[in-house]
Amino acid sequence: MQLSSERKLADMRSAYGDALIELGLNDQNVVCVGADTTDSLKTKKFGDKFPTRLYNVGIAEANLVSIAAGLSIAGKVVFASTYAAFLPGRCLDQIRNTICYPFLNVKLVVSHAGLTVGPDGASHQQIEDISIMRTIPNMRVLVPCDAITVKHLIPLIAKTPGPFYMRLARPSSNLVYDEHVNSFEIGKASILRDGSDATIIACGLMVTEALKAAEILQRDYSLCCRVIDMYSIKPIDAQIIYQAAIETGLIITIEEHNIIGGLGSAVTEVASESYPVLVKRMGVSDIFGESARDEEIEELLDKYGLTSNHIVEVVLETRRKTKK
Amino acid sequence: MGFKMRYLELKRKVKDVRMLAIQAIAEAGSGHPGASFSAAEIMGALYFHKMRHDPSRPLWDDRDYFINSKAHSAPGFYAALAVAGYIDFEEVKTLRKLGSRLQGHPVRYSELQKHHSFPGIEYSGGSEGIGLSVSIGIAIAKKSDGKRNRIYTLIGDGESNEGQIWEAAMSAPKFRLNNLVTILDRNKIQQDGFTEEIMPLDPVRDKWMAFNWNVFEVDGHKIEQLIDALNRVERLEDKPSIIIANTVKGNGIKHMANNPQWHGRAPPRKHTPILLEELQSEVMIAPSIIAGERENYEEKVRKAERGGADLIHLDVMDGKFVPNTTFFANKIRDLRKITSLPFDAHLMIEEPLKHIQDYIEARCDIITIHAEVCNEAEFLDINENLLKAGISPGVAINPDTKFPSWLYKHLDRIDVVIIMSVNPGFAGQKFIPDSLDKMAEISKELKKHNYHGYIEADGGIDATNLQQVFDAGARIMVAGNAVYGSADINSNIIQLRHKANVALERKLLEIATIKDIRNDWMKTRKHILIPLANELGIEEELHAIK
Repeated sequence: MQLSSERKLADMRSAYGDALIELGLNDQNVVCVGADTTDSLKTKKFGDKFPTRLYNVGIAEANLVSIAAGLSIAGKVVFASTYAAFLPGRCLDQIRNTICYPFLNVKLVVSHAGLTVGPDGASHQQIEDISIMRTIPNMRVLVPCDAITVKHLIPLIAKTPGPFYMRLARPSSNLVYDEHVNSFEIGKASILRDGSDATIIACGLMVTEALKAAEILQRDYSLCCRVIDMYSIKPIDAQIIYQAAIETGLIITIEEHNIIGGLGSAVTEVASESYPVLVKRMGVSDIFGESARDEEIEELLDKYGLTSNHIVEVVLETRRKTKK
Repeated sequence: MGFKMRYLELKRKVKDVRMLAIQAIAEAGSGHPGASFSAAEIMGALYFHKMRHDPSRPLWDDRDYFINSKAHSAPGFYAALAVAGYIDFEEVKTLRKLGSRLQGHPVRYSELQKHHSFPGIEYSGGSEGIGLSVSIGIAIAKKSDGKRNRIYTLIGDGESNEGQIWEAAMSAPKFRLNNLVTILDRNKIQQDGFTEEIMPLDPVRDKWMAFNWNVFEVDGHKIEQLIDALNRVERLEDKPSIIIANTVKGNGIKHMANNPQWHGRAPPRKHTPILLEELQSEVMIAPSIIAGERENYEEKVRKAERGGADLIHLDVMDGKFVPNTTFFANKIRDLRKITSLPFDAHLMIEEPLKHIQDYIEARCDIITIHAEVCNEAEFLDINENLLKAGISPGVAINPDTKFPSWLYKHLDRIDVVIIMSVNPGFAGQKFIPDSLDKMAEISKELKKHNYHGYIEADGGIDATNLQQVFDAGARIMVAGNAVYGSADINSNIIQLRHKANVALERKLLEIATIKDIRNDWMKTRKHILIPLANELGIEEELHAIK
């Protein structure tokens, strides 16, 4: 896998907005629905370009997803976007009954997931969505780690029929992938770094932390860790998990999400049924987050155990346990 | 009114919807009869008349959409789709059973869900308050694509407790969705009781007006009013429209009507034959405006409408076929402007073929000609014209006329048979008692020949003989002096209905007795029977029932 060589920052939302315009130019049927957050979600740019194809329904999330359902019934490819905090929780019923059951072509792309929302506090820090969304039959759940992934996944979900939930983060983040990488597939994961001493499986912004941790483990402890970017949580790449279990004997998962029901649970489900090894789940430990100013985000993540140093500790400790 | 589909054919189809729905619910042992019945005319007006749709091409691009947001009306909805031709009647009875395509709440058809649904169902309901938003999505897409599809959404009043209904209400005018029509089934009952006690919705009209919708209000069991409103909204631009259909939950089965207990309860299967009989026995009162004061037909039409008449009976007499002269097509055309009540025109004229076009153009809904003035060929000629124009054809026979045998071949082409119980020509004549036997005999014979239309009794019908006329098989009652003979027209009509009710209850009790469930039926029906106990002679029996 070709990784980005330079440390370049980019934000996923802008990548989303740009990808939408690109899509819109090629397909008249692509439309977008917003809920008073089109500026923030960068879908406004789509509306500027295609004024008759962006519909702002105001602060009404239930209406947002249901209107999206209607547009798809009429044959549109629909992107519905707002903050992660308000979509899966508030609209579970509409998403379940109105979109997923009839397998409608609605793409829910949300931003501001996880603790890195920062100053708005726990009410806005969505840490349950992966869990909620992946339990609904027919729903697919994607968690990209950088702007490059977003750029490539958006056209992919547009041409794949049926509902998707894609979760973006608010802050600009390091590009993980080289710009030329285009090997993303629904239901697949990427091995970003190979190794045999342990496997760290991450999604979203935690992929960068996982890579940092692997670097430290190599440098300071001569441990060679495999790092997997699990951008497709449902469907999940079971084969890559099975291989990791066999070849490295230990799996650590890390996600900016409650440890219940998210990436860690999904990986555990596969490992325990195919090749049971110790799977240590890292994430928000079933507690609510808190406010932090933008310049304090790193400290916030550290406080909740979501930085590379915590991963290093967990890898070392779980290796001690398994080597007994 | 000028229906695309014949008025009496529409009535019959709506009746079929109720009959199918109640059988399905009884078979399933659960389901929502109340909502299925309050919305039966609404679905009928849409599926059998107003909507552009084609059961043989359910995914036709130019189709109108029906989004059933109050999806617990599923039994009625499936029944309407069956009557419209989407599925077989028999399949409706698989409702709610394991392996059935007819889920408890309808599911949008897709390749993935083809075992849970069938083509023609556009929307997955079950969770309340969502359908209107979905309709808005469809309407936005169609409007922005410059398409002419219309989107009809049925919502409930209990459902209107949901906040999302008002999110949708607020957003539709923003997008200027004049292709969106919402119909509110205002039956005033929800699961726990009456809406105005659980969560008051009134003033509902003001609410929707405040949200900037075009608002119409109709009697939701009068198909002609629903169709009139559905036609009007088509001419409006720039705004969405809502039709508030005032309905009665459970309408059609008296003990279920307006009774919260029957919101979601199935009748026992053993009651089915009695319930079907009740649904088949709906009586229509048709005041004849030539009775009473000769002048001012307009006033008489208005009074009949206010009094809750079902039809306006128009006796056209030419002074040749009968000695008297009344009015002609030009008068009917004038009257058409003041009411949406269906016109039941009874042409007592010679050479009907020569004049039929005038009455078609005057927009009568039912046109009956006399058997005495046409032969088979002329009948067929006239009949063809009526069917083509979407008008219910009728045939009338005088007291001394035998039912023409050639008519038996054409029973599927007539919607009503008028059996005269006076010699036509003048209002205010005495009922001829012999006509009862004749009516009963013809009813029996028609039934044998699989006739699905109505039998109409005309001549001297009043409160003293209505029950016997009912027993003889008539379900449309022309009433002249019995309505207009005294000043209080409302109570005259109520009195006639009361007599029809007594006749109905007697008939249903007879069936219950034959089926050996008399006691059980009386228990179920108690609150309906109590006020009629004296007339039915069942006071003691009823008293003994706990």
